[in-house]
Amino acid sequence: MGFKLNYLLSILPRLIGAAAVNIRLAVIIMLFALALGTALTIVRSLKIVAVNACIAVVISFVRGTPLLIQIFIAYYVLPAVGLDLSPEVAGVSAIAFNSMVFVSESMRGGLATIDAGQIEASTALGLPPHAIWLKVVLPQLFRRIVPVLINEATIVVKGTALLSVITVVDVLRTAQQIASASYRPFETMIGSALVFLVINLVISLSGRVAESRFAAARV
Amino acid sequence: MHFDPAVLVDYWPLLLQGAWLTLQVSVAALVMGYVAGIAVALIALVPGWLPGLVTGCYVETLRNIPFIIILFVVYYGLPFCGIRLPATLVGTTALALFASAYYAEIVRAAILALPRGQFESARAIGMSPMSAMWHVVAPQILRALVPPSTNMTLTMMKESSVLSSITVPELTYQSLVVQGNTFAPFEVFAAVASIYWLIAVVIAEASRRLERRVGAVQAEAVSRNRIADRYLSLVARRT
Amino acid sequence: MSAPPVLRVSNLTKRFHGVTALDKVYLDVHAGQIVALIGPSGCGKSTLLRCLTWLEQPDDGFIEVAGKPLGRELMPGGVVRRQNRRQIDALRPQVGIVFQQFHLWPHMTALENVVRPQTVVLGRPRDEATRRGIELLTRLGLADRMDRHPHALSGGQKQRVAIARALAMDPALMLFDEPTSALDPELVGEVLAVLRALAGTGMTMLVVTHEIGFAASLADRIAFMDHGRILEEGPARDIMAAPKEPRLRNFLDLVRADHRIVTTTVTPTE
Repeated sequence: MGFKLNYLLSILPRLIGAAAVNIRLAVIIMLFALALGTALTIVRSLKIVAVNACIAVVISFVRGTPLLIQIFIAYYVLPAVGLDLSPEVAGVSAIAFNSMVFVSESMRGGLATIDAGQIEASTALGLPPHAIWLKVVLPQLFRRIVPVLINEATIVVKGTALLSVITVVDVLRTAQQIASASYRPFETMIGSALVFLVINLVISLSGRVAESRFAAARV
Repeated sequence: MHFDPAVLVDYWPLLLQGAWLTLQVSVAALVMGYVAGIAVALIALVPGWLPGLVTGCYVETLRNIPFIIILFVVYYGLPFCGIRLPATLVGTTALALFASAYYAEIVRAAILALPRGQFESARAIGMSPMSAMWHVVAPQILRALVPPSTNMTLTMMKESSVLSSITVPELTYQSLVVQGNTFAPFEVFAAVASIYWLIAVVIAEASRRLERRVGAVQAEAVSRNRIADRYLSLVARRT
Repeated sequence: MSAPPVLRVSNLTKRFHGVTALDKVYLDVHAGQIVALIGPSGCGKSTLLRCLTWLEQPDDGFIEVAGKPLGRELMPGGVVRRQNRRQIDALRPQVGIVFQQFHLWPHMTALENVVRPQTVVLGRPRDEATRRGIELLTRLGLADRMDRHPHALSGGQKQRVAIARALAMDPALMLFDEPTSALDPELVGEVLAVLRALAGTGMTMLVVTHEIGFAASLADRIAFMDHGRILEEGPARDIMAAPKEPRLRNFLDLVRADHRIVTTTVTPTE
């Protein structure tokens, strides 16, 4: 049996419709990851030894275990401790938690590139710590990690495909439903691959445009 | 809710079998993926616009599609082309395919970071491109390859959990089996996560040793003012 | 007629994105001659050397090394045939090149730098290649430096290793790209001595340099290049004493004036 291009084109609209789910979840996840990642970075900067030791363990755990296992933990374990979440909420929390750690880690890398003289000057001027963070450090930091955040966004989009495993009806699950009716799984999977490819290429390209804007603004 | 590791007592062999398969699949995909990655990197460096375009498409396509989708494309694509393989082999192939794109970028970047004159002086004296790569370029980039390759291999090892969705009986698959039998998700996933974590730590440590053996690590010391350090670093001060 | 020239360049043309770097270059270098190629920076000297080693592919024209065509050959009937990579690689050892930055291989000892290409390219047995390497390095005054890696060598020593590496291939012709520029000025005399000693063995050499004094005291013939063309070529003494081409005269005046400024400003501090 040959490759049926017409069939592939006929299912694309349904897959694109399902992509709205992935995009919506990815946006929510990124917002949470950014906010929580920033908060985590500031907490770590307080350098409370016991707290940072705990955070270090959590980070090592998140980096050392598969995202899929983290999703299963949110889906199977959280209800067992009384947090009964819908599959969507469980999945979003797991990916957001995972992404938070990576955002904070890249912020740590970004911090190392900020000129120390500015902090000394701000302290000399008597700026309180929260002002130093809000007015001096964070704005530069966000600008610097734009490329990392763009990359993280594509990783989050890819991560949302895993939510099909816990019954979220996203692109992949929609594709599986279509394939089980049409018996053309290969074309259907190619279709969903194309959908993800386009989403992520758009993110990368718009990221590159944003970066060059930032670069221009800095001059 | 209570934590009772005893429920797992009958299932440890199953989990360890799964972990063993995870390791085997990861190592096989590392080897296959690296060979393919080196080939792609070398093709990418062939002069002319076509090799760059083809390898660029290869790399960008694989990097922008979720691994689970790549896995299903291979899983349904091989039979579509008349090739029937056991699920474990299909999964390993997909994993190697996925990793090869990243390995290719790692190798390509390392080669490009080497001054051009190194390759050119070998070519000018009459070495073939492959000889120049083997005798002059490869020994010089080996050390630079270790840290990023380790990172990627760790990522790949973690992604191998997705193979559970095509019934490859690796660690994640077994954890779902055990979870179905015991209904003790906390214990099961704590155990499984710890095993993954342990594998990751062991691989990271092995890579650190390998790097030290390949050559001394040049540590970059950054000295900074203590006040600035409060804001610009996250390393906890020990007192 | 005598034997063919060791190097014959005819009508060599190279363009980069529409900019002509080499414009119909003709040049003959005969056996045992030292030819210095001078000219302002960006005139195409280095591009010519890169073309002669086929690191850069000329768009037009021919190169012959010891009577054999390199890269492209004219077939009977006027058809131009491009050689394949193997043919080009086979001829490359005939043209030894010493790069401006030497490009020694940092992961090998000085001796290994000289031995490895012999075994890989010429297929020499390792002990024979080693013997040859030791002989060359000893001749170049590096007998006690052979086991060192390049980073533990001085600039002048690195250059001599690079020379030995090229000589070990028994080239018909040696190319030098700015042999004085990566070294301290006080080493110019040393480089001169090494190249002269090499000339004493009858080696044919083409030396690209912007140092007129160096060119005048080393070369038998001087070729002046500007805007990708060789404008004047002749015996070194004639070129230095009576340059015909106005641009060459201009160049010589400029360089000599520069030299005076440098010497007058440097002298008081010494």
